[in-house]
Amino acid sequence: MKKQKVVILNRRQQNKQDFDAIHELQEGLQKIDQFPVYTPNLQWFEQIVIQEQQNKKKKLIKDLSVFFIVAFIILSGMIISLYHMPAIFILVQIITTIFIVVYIGIRKIKKANHI
Amino acid sequence: MDALIKNAKKGDHLAFAMLFKENYPFLVKYLMKITMNPDTAEELAQETMAKCVQKIHLYNGQSKFTTWLVSIATNTYIDQCRKMKREKNWQGQEEIYRKLKWHFESRNEEWNDCLEALGRLPEDVRIPIILKHYYGYSYEEIGEWMKISPGTVKSRVHNGLKSVRREMKLGEETESRYPEQKTTK
Repeated sequence: MKKQKVVILNRRQQNKQDFDAIHELQEGLQKIDQFPVYTPNLQWFEQIVIQEQQNKKKKLIKDLSVFFIVAFIILSGMIISLYHMPAIFILVQIITTIFIVVYIGIRKIKKANHI
Repeated sequence: MDALIKNAKKGDHLAFAMLFKENYPFLVKYLMKITMNPDTAEELAQETMAKCVQKIHLYNGQSKFTTWLVSIATNTYIDQCRKMKREKNWQGQEEIYRKLKWHFESRNEEWNDCLEALGRLPEDVRIPIILKHYYGYSYEEIGEWMKISPGTVKSRVHNGLKSVRREMKLGEETESRYPEQKTTK
Protein backbone atom coordinates (compact mmCIF):
# COMPACT_ATOMS: atom_id res chain seq x y z
CA MET A 1 0.00 0.00 0.00
CA LYS A 2 2.80 2.40 1.04
CA LYS A 3 4.82 1.35 -2.01
CA GLN A 4 1.84 2.09 -4.28
CA LYS A 5 1.44 5.54 -2.73
CA VAL A 6 5.13 6.30 -3.31
CA VAL A 7 4.84 5.19 -6.94
CA ILE A 8 1.76 7.39 -7.50
CA LEU A 9 3.48 10.38 -5.85
CA ASN A 10 6.62 9.83 -7.91
CA ARG A 11 4.59 9.58 -11.08
CA ARG A 12 2.69 12.76 -10.21
CA GLN A 13 5.98 14.55 -9.53
CA GLN A 14 7.43 13.25 -12.81
CA ASN A 15 4.33 14.41 -14.72
CA LYS A 16 4.56 17.84 -13.14
CA GLN A 17 8.23 18.12 -14.10
CA ASP A 18 7.47 16.96 -17.65
CA PHE A 19 4.61 19.43 -17.87
CA ASP A 20 6.90 22.29 -16.77
CA ALA A 21 9.56 21.26 -19.30
CA ILE A 22 6.98 20.99 -22.12
CA HIS A 23 5.56 24.40 -21.21
CA GLU A 24 9.03 25.98 -21.30
CA LEU A 25 9.76 24.25 -24.62
CA GLN A 26 6.53 25.51 -26.14
CA GLU A 27 7.29 29.05 -25.04
CA GLY A 28 10.76 28.87 -26.58
CA LEU A 29 9.53 27.38 -29.83
CA GLN A 30 6.78 29.98 -30.06
CA LYS A 31 9.51 32.62 -30.18
CA ILE A 32 10.86 30.96 -33.32
CA ASP A 33 7.37 31.15 -34.80
CA GLN A 34 7.39 34.90 -34.19
CA PHE A 35 10.68 35.16 -36.06
CA PRO A 36 10.12 37.08 -39.33
CA VAL A 37 10.71 34.90 -42.40
CA TYR A 38 11.34 36.52 -45.77
CA THR A 39 9.08 34.92 -48.39
CA PRO A 40 10.43 35.27 -51.95
CA ASN A 41 8.11 36.33 -54.78
CA LEU A 42 5.95 33.96 -56.84
CA GLN A 43 8.42 33.92 -59.78
CA TRP A 44 11.12 32.45 -57.54
CA PHE A 45 8.83 29.57 -56.57
CA GLU A 46 7.76 29.09 -60.19
CA GLN A 47 11.39 28.87 -61.25
CA ILE A 48 12.07 26.14 -58.66
CA VAL A 49 9.03 24.18 -59.86
CA ILE A 50 9.91 24.50 -63.58
CA GLN A 51 13.53 23.52 -62.88
CA GLU A 52 12.43 20.48 -60.88
CA GLN A 53 9.86 19.42 -63.48
CA GLN A 54 12.59 19.56 -66.14
CA ASN A 55 14.92 17.53 -63.91
CA LYS A 56 12.13 14.98 -63.40
CA LYS A 57 11.60 14.68 -67.17
CA LYS A 58 15.34 14.30 -67.81
CA LYS A 59 15.62 11.63 -65.12
CA LEU A 60 12.66 9.70 -66.57
CA ILE A 61 14.17 9.76 -70.07
CA LYS A 62 17.56 8.64 -68.69
CA ASP A 63 16.02 5.80 -66.63
CA LEU A 64 13.89 4.60 -69.54
CA SER A 65 16.88 4.68 -71.91
CA VAL A 66 19.00 2.64 -69.48
CA PHE A 67 16.12 0.20 -69.00
CA PHE A 68 15.58 -0.34 -72.75
CA ILE A 69 19.33 -0.69 -73.49
CA VAL A 70 19.80 -3.26 -70.69
CA ALA A 71 16.63 -5.11 -71.74
CA PHE A 72 17.81 -5.16 -75.37
CA ILE A 73 21.25 -6.53 -74.40
CA ILE A 74 19.75 -9.25 -72.16
CA LEU A 75 17.11 -10.29 -74.71
CA SER A 76 19.64 -10.37 -77.56
CA GLY A 77 21.96 -12.53 -75.46
CA MET A 78 19.09 -14.88 -74.59
CA ILE A 79 17.89 -15.23 -78.19
CA ILE A 80 21.45 -15.82 -79.48
CA SER A 81 22.13 -18.43 -76.82
CA LEU A 82 18.74 -20.13 -77.45
CA TYR A 83 19.45 -20.65 -81.17
CA HIS A 84 23.22 -21.21 -81.11
CA MET A 85 24.05 -22.60 -77.65
CA PRO A 86 20.89 -24.16 -76.12
CA ALA A 87 22.93 -25.76 -73.30
CA ILE A 88 24.11 -22.37 -72.08
CA PHE A 89 20.55 -21.03 -72.39
CA ILE A 90 19.22 -23.81 -70.14
CA LEU A 91 22.13 -23.33 -67.70
CA VAL A 92 21.41 -19.60 -67.44
CA GLN A 93 17.72 -20.34 -66.81
CA ILE A 94 18.57 -22.79 -64.01
CA ILE A 95 21.14 -20.45 -62.40
CA THR A 96 18.70 -17.52 -62.55
CA THR A 97 15.91 -19.56 -60.94
CA ILE A 98 18.22 -20.79 -58.15
CA PHE A 99 19.52 -17.25 -57.57
CA ILE A 100 15.99 -15.82 -57.25
CA VAL A 101 14.88 -18.56 -54.84
CA VAL A 102 18.04 -18.17 -52.67
CA TYR A 103 17.75 -14.37 -52.70
CA ILE A 104 14.08 -14.39 -51.62
CA GLY A 105 14.86 -17.03 -48.95
CA ILE A 106 17.73 -14.98 -47.49
CA ARG A 107 15.62 -11.81 -47.44
CA LYS A 108 12.77 -13.60 -45.67
CA ILE A 109 15.15 -15.08 -43.06
CA LYS A 110 16.72 -11.64 -42.48
CA LYS A 111 13.27 -10.08 -42.09
CA ALA A 112 12.18 -12.78 -39.64
CA ASN A 113 15.38 -12.32 -37.58
CA HIS A 114 14.89 -8.55 -37.59
CA ILE A 115 11.35 -8.86 -36.18
CA MET B 1 -8.85 18.17 -52.11
CA ASP B 2 -7.87 21.80 -52.54
CA ALA B 3 -8.09 23.18 -56.10
CA LEU B 4 -4.46 24.32 -55.94
CA ILE B 5 -3.29 20.83 -55.03
CA LYS B 6 -5.42 19.28 -57.76
CA ASN B 7 -3.91 21.63 -60.36
CA ALA B 8 -0.41 21.06 -58.99
CA LYS B 9 -0.92 17.31 -59.37
CA LYS B 10 -1.78 17.93 -63.02
CA GLY B 11 1.61 19.63 -63.44
CA ASP B 12 0.47 23.28 -63.29
CA HIS B 13 3.61 25.08 -62.15
CA LEU B 14 1.73 28.25 -61.18
CA ALA B 15 -0.49 26.25 -58.80
CA PHE B 16 2.63 24.63 -57.36
CA ALA B 17 4.28 28.04 -56.90
CA MET B 18 1.21 29.46 -55.14
CA LEU B 19 0.98 26.42 -52.90
CA PHE B 20 4.63 26.72 -51.93
CA LYS B 21 4.45 30.48 -51.40
CA GLU B 22 1.48 29.98 -49.09
CA ASN B 23 3.24 27.31 -47.03
CA TYR B 24 6.81 28.65 -47.18
CA PRO B 25 6.84 30.52 -43.81
CA PHE B 26 5.36 27.49 -42.03
CA LEU B 27 7.92 25.19 -43.63
CA VAL B 28 10.93 27.40 -42.87
CA LYS B 29 9.82 27.92 -39.28
CA TYR B 30 9.37 24.17 -38.79
CA LEU B 31 12.82 23.53 -40.24
CA MET B 32 14.27 26.32 -38.10
CA LYS B 33 12.94 24.55 -35.02
CA ILE B 34 14.40 21.16 -35.88
CA THR B 35 17.71 22.39 -37.35
CA MET B 36 18.07 25.39 -35.02
CA ASN B 37 19.78 27.18 -37.86
CA PRO B 38 17.96 29.72 -40.11
CA ASP B 39 20.36 29.24 -43.07
CA THR B 40 20.09 25.45 -43.01
CA ALA B 41 16.31 25.82 -42.68
CA GLU B 42 16.09 27.90 -45.88
CA GLU B 43 18.34 25.47 -47.78
CA LEU B 44 16.30 22.49 -46.63
CA ALA B 45 13.04 24.27 -47.47
CA GLN B 46 14.19 24.53 -51.10
CA GLU B 47 15.20 20.88 -51.11
CA THR B 48 11.84 19.91 -49.57
CA MET B 49 9.95 21.82 -52.25
CA ALA B 50 11.98 20.09 -54.96
CA LYS B 51 11.09 16.71 -53.43
CA CYS B 52 7.43 17.71 -53.28
CA VAL B 53 7.42 18.38 -57.02
CA GLN B 54 8.91 14.91 -57.56
CA LYS B 55 6.50 13.14 -55.20
CA ILE B 56 3.24 15.07 -55.59
CA HIS B 57 1.61 12.00 -57.21
CA LEU B 58 2.04 10.22 -53.85
CA TYR B 59 0.01 12.81 -51.95
CA ASN B 60 -3.48 11.35 -51.50
CA GLY B 61 -5.15 14.18 -49.60
CA GLN B 62 -5.88 12.05 -46.53
CA SER B 63 -3.73 14.32 -44.36
CA LYS B 64 -3.29 18.09 -44.51
CA PHE B 65 -0.82 19.40 -47.09
CA THR B 66 1.24 20.93 -44.25
CA THR B 67 1.46 17.52 -42.56
CA TRP B 68 2.76 16.04 -45.81
CA LEU B 69 5.30 18.88 -46.06
CA VAL B 70 6.43 18.24 -42.47
CA SER B 71 6.97 14.54 -43.23
CA ILE B 72 9.08 15.30 -46.32
CA ALA B 73 11.04 18.06 -44.55
CA THR B 74 11.76 15.74 -41.60
CA ASN B 75 13.09 13.03 -43.89
CA THR B 76 15.15 15.54 -45.87
CA TYR B 77 16.81 16.79 -42.67
CA ILE B 78 17.45 13.25 -41.36
CA ASP B 79 19.01 12.30 -44.73
CA GLN B 80 21.20 15.40 -44.64
CA CYS B 81 22.40 14.59 -41.10
CA ARG B 82 23.20 11.00 -42.13
CA LYS B 83 25.10 12.23 -45.18
CA MET B 84 27.09 14.71 -43.12
CA LYS B 85 27.92 12.04 -40.53
CA ARG B 86 29.03 9.68 -43.32
CA GLU B 87 31.23 12.34 -44.86
CA LYS B 88 32.57 13.16 -41.38
CA ASN B 89 31.38 16.72 -41.89
CA TRP B 90 29.39 16.63 -38.67
CA GLN B 91 30.00 19.56 -36.34
CA GLY B 92 28.36 17.94 -33.36
CA GLN B 93 25.50 19.18 -31.24
CA GLU B 94 27.38 21.90 -29.41
CA GLU B 95 27.37 24.55 -32.09
CA ILE B 96 24.10 24.20 -33.92
CA TYR B 97 21.97 26.62 -31.91
CA ARG B 98 24.61 29.39 -31.87
CA LYS B 99 23.51 30.92 -35.14
CA LEU B 100 19.89 31.00 -33.99
CA LYS B 101 20.98 32.55 -30.71
CA TRP B 102 22.95 35.16 -32.63
CA HIS B 103 19.88 35.93 -34.78
CA PHE B 104 17.80 36.35 -31.64
CA GLU B 105 20.35 38.66 -30.06
CA SER B 106 20.80 40.71 -33.22
CA ARG B 107 17.05 41.39 -33.19
CA ASN B 108 17.09 42.20 -29.46
CA GLU B 109 14.84 39.21 -28.83
CA GLU B 110 15.11 37.42 -25.52
CA TRP B 111 16.85 34.05 -25.88
CA ASN B 112 15.16 31.11 -24.21
CA ASP B 113 17.43 28.67 -22.32
CA CYS B 114 15.07 25.91 -23.26
CA LEU B 115 16.04 26.31 -26.91
CA GLU B 116 19.66 25.86 -25.89
CA ALA B 117 18.77 22.66 -24.04
CA LEU B 118 16.82 21.48 -27.10
CA GLY B 119 19.74 22.35 -29.37
CA ARG B 120 22.07 20.18 -27.30
CA LEU B 121 19.94 17.09 -27.96
CA PRO B 122 20.75 14.84 -30.92
CA GLU B 123 18.47 15.44 -33.90
CA ASP B 124 16.77 12.02 -33.59
CA VAL B 125 15.55 13.06 -30.13
CA ARG B 126 14.90 16.74 -30.83
CA ILE B 127 12.65 16.05 -33.83
CA PRO B 128 10.15 13.75 -32.03
CA ILE B 129 9.94 16.14 -29.07
CA ILE B 130 9.07 19.08 -31.34
CA LEU B 131 6.64 17.05 -33.44
CA LYS B 132 4.89 15.59 -30.40
CA HIS B 133 4.78 18.48 -27.96
CA TYR B 134 4.68 21.50 -30.25
CA TYR B 135 2.83 20.29 -33.35
CA GLY B 136 0.78 17.62 -31.57
CA TYR B 137 1.41 14.72 -33.97
CA SER B 138 0.87 11.19 -32.68
CA TYR B 139 3.67 8.75 -31.85
CA GLU B 140 2.45 6.58 -34.75
CA GLU B 141 2.70 9.41 -37.29
CA ILE B 142 6.17 10.44 -36.06
CA GLY B 143 7.33 6.83 -36.09
CA GLU B 144 6.10 6.39 -39.65
CA TRP B 145 7.99 9.48 -40.85
CA MET B 146 11.18 8.65 -38.99
CA LYS B 147 10.94 4.95 -39.89
CA ILE B 148 11.02 3.82 -36.25
CA SER B 149 8.42 2.16 -34.03
CA PRO B 150 5.95 4.29 -32.01
CA GLY B 151 7.47 2.78 -28.84
CA THR B 152 10.92 4.06 -29.82
CA VAL B 153 9.46 7.52 -30.48
CA LYS B 154 7.83 7.48 -27.05
CA SER B 155 11.04 6.52 -25.27
CA ARG B 156 13.05 9.12 -27.21
CA VAL B 157 10.55 11.83 -26.25
CA HIS B 158 10.59 10.68 -22.63
CA ASN B 159 14.39 10.56 -22.38
CA GLY B 160 14.72 13.82 -24.31
CA LEU B 161 12.42 15.60 -21.89
CA LYS B 162 14.44 14.18 -19.03
CA SER B 163 17.61 15.67 -20.55
CA VAL B 164 15.91 19.05 -21.07
CA ARG B 165 14.74 19.02 -17.45
CA ARG B 166 18.24 18.17 -16.28
CA GLU B 167 19.77 20.94 -18.42
CA MET B 168 17.30 23.48 -17.13
CA LYS B 169 17.47 22.10 -13.58
CA LEU B 170 13.67 21.90 -13.63
CA GLY B 171 13.66 18.71 -11.57
CA GLU B 172 15.50 20.31 -8.66
CA GLU B 173 13.05 23.17 -8.61
CA THR B 174 10.04 20.89 -8.58
CA GLU B 175 11.58 18.49 -6.10
CA SER B 176 12.07 21.36 -3.67
CA ARG B 177 8.37 22.18 -4.08
CA TYR B 178 7.47 18.64 -2.97
CA PRO B 179 9.74 17.95 0.00
CA GLU B 180 7.34 15.49 1.64
CA GLN B 181 7.52 13.21 -1.40
CA LYS B 182 11.26 12.92 -1.05
CA THR B 183 10.92 11.72 2.52
CA THR B 184 8.50 8.98 1.54
CA LYS B 185 11.15 7.45 -0.78
